[in-house]
Amino acid sequence: MSMRALCWHDVNDLRVDDVPEPELVNPRDVVLRVTMTTACGSDLHFIDGYLPTMREGDVIGHEFMGEVAKVGRKVEGVEEGDRVVVPSFIGCGSCGYCQDDLWSLCDNTNPNAALQEPVLGDTTAGIYGYTHAFGGYAGSHAEYVRVPHADENCFHVPDELDDEQALFASDAWATGYMGADFCDIEEGDTVAVWGCGGVGLMAQQSAALMGAERVIGIDRFPERLRLAEREAGSETIDYTAVDSVVDALKATTGGRGPDACIDAVGMEAHGTGPAHAYDRAKQQLKLHTDRGEALRQAIVACRKGGTLSILGVYGLMDKFPLGIVMNKGLTVRTAQQHGQRYVPDLLEYAAEGEMDPSYLATHELELEESPRGYDLFKHKEDGCVRPVFVP
Amino acid sequence: MTAQPNDASLATADEPATPSSRSESGPTGNVGRWDRLGSAALGGILLVRGLRKRSLGGAATALVGGALVSRGVRGHSHLYRRLGVNTAGNEYRDPEPRTDSATVERSITVGKPADELVSYWRDPEQLSRLVGHFADVTTWGKDRYNWRVYGPLGQTIEWDTQLVSDRPDTEQPDGDRSDATRSDDDLHWETIEDAPIPHDGTVEFRPAPGDRGTEVTLRVQYDPPGGALGTAVMRWLDVAPDVLVGTTLRRFKSLAETGEIPTLEANPSARGAGDLV
Repeated sequence: MSMRALCWHDVNDLRVDDVPEPELVNPRDVVLRVTMTTACGSDLHFIDGYLPTMREGDVIGHEFMGEVAKVGRKVEGVEEGDRVVVPSFIGCGSCGYCQDDLWSLCDNTNPNAALQEPVLGDTTAGIYGYTHAFGGYAGSHAEYVRVPHADENCFHVPDELDDEQALFASDAWATGYMGADFCDIEEGDTVAVWGCGGVGLMAQQSAALMGAERVIGIDRFPERLRLAEREAGSETIDYTAVDSVVDALKATTGGRGPDACIDAVGMEAHGTGPAHAYDRAKQQLKLHTDRGEALRQAIVACRKGGTLSILGVYGLMDKFPLGIVMNKGLTVRTAQQHGQRYVPDLLEYAAEGEMDPSYLATHELELEESPRGYDLFKHKEDGCVRPVFVP
Repeated sequence: MTAQPNDASLATADEPATPSSRSESGPTGNVGRWDRLGSAALGGILLVRGLRKRSLGGAATALVGGALVSRGVRGHSHLYRRLGVNTAGNEYRDPEPRTDSATVERSITVGKPADELVSYWRDPEQLSRLVGHFADVTTWGKDRYNWRVYGPLGQTIEWDTQLVSDRPDTEQPDGDRSDATRSDDDLHWETIEDAPIPHDGTVEFRPAPGDRGTEVTLRVQYDPPGGALGTAVMRWLDVAPDVLVGTTLRRFKSLAETGEIPTLEANPSARGAGDLV
């Protein structure tokens, strides 16, 4: 049996191909019929050639939901026909990390741990459709996807929610929510968020929900800044319209700086000036080391003793101003998303109408059109925040 | 996140390491062939452009270009060295060949008490699952095991091992373990005569602090005796012993903690079904 799936063929070369349907392999697997799946900014890192260990023909995609089609013999609590949303990082539920609610650090779900260990000194959890170093599992931009340890990774979606309302709990919403949670927000706090993409917007809305006095979103795309104002109730800074983001933040916080700074941008932070052409050339030759413009601004802007919450995805960043972090006594908190810890709460927020992330889904496309969807997304054309694909 | 800015680690699956590919870039080389060509080409362009400009920016561009050309020609990058990145060989840990080491030892912490873990290493069915990424294990007689390894071209090599209760003192690492810390659960095996890779192995169990379970150490000594031959066989199999030992421990931990081993069996891609490396 074959199915249609979006596959990576080379840098900036995505195609919808016929691939074999996934099967139940381990006893706690389910096979999910994907009903909705979305592009994530972190996909761009391997599409653009920044992250190694992709192989030609890999099925991509890690943020998704669907209907359970096949159930392994040892799965409990998940049945055929159940409508579920699944976090992008796969947890086993049994290891010390999962038990401590640090699910993206799971010890037991990355079959290719040996590829990561020499670089990280250990392994992360496996993830769907996101390089062989991160597990090599087939991704969700397909008609079907295998979900291991289904009882720990499938979360039932309340009937009253549309797919668009539940989908982003899989990654963007959980990641943004975690980033705000890291800030231990107290009364009167100002939280600044670099990036008004899916994760940045979710972080801003979550920070407001957690009681932040002021939330400030930073980006350069007018439609994204408008979304931050309209949907998250944030104040905004267009970084192309100010001389210095740091000065602008200091000015608006009585010289203190934000109490917490969230980086929702990552290693492909846009720079300006002559460094840009060189960065592009290095990228083509895979000699690239990270740019970290957003992170550097956040470190300088943050108030002394404040919190730096890093959600953006980084490679091996070779220049990091640790001296500033140290002298200002900043607390750095960061992780890949621990989705399983947050998804039940998020679905409850959605069901109660306290937060509705469906506005992120600016473009709904059939799976066959997903390469065009990634084009819109990558170039941020037509106001695209997130394209969602319906297989 | 992981990010060698190259796909050296991926190359392991497709292009086995050979001494010749390693020596191409010289003894200290850490920049691979394509990487070097690219470096030299980009460097050349930047160098020429920079020199043409006759300005401060042009001079900077030319300097960067020159450095890249040098990196391309010499096959060594100081930045890569500082980052611990190596695109030249297939060792993704460091550029030293590791197949010559006599003892390979790795440890892992498993969230279970030792008495629930020992059987995984004694029961041939369980043991076969642990080492299923390279071998099949069957048993013949008390504490005797037959190991079969399938080579890349369909050849099979096999050997027999026997569990022995008393470990000779020679296996003790220099004094960092006294008899007092030796657990009754520890296992030790040796190959029986004429094994193509004569070796002996030890699995040790000791309680981890707090409620962290058990620290399990797997140690394999395969040199001496038979070192040269053993090394040759390892090369033929295209396996790095430390990766083999590390992966076996990870599979053991996953099986013990979750009842299954993470797998890419039947994993769909445009290449077909299954991604077993």
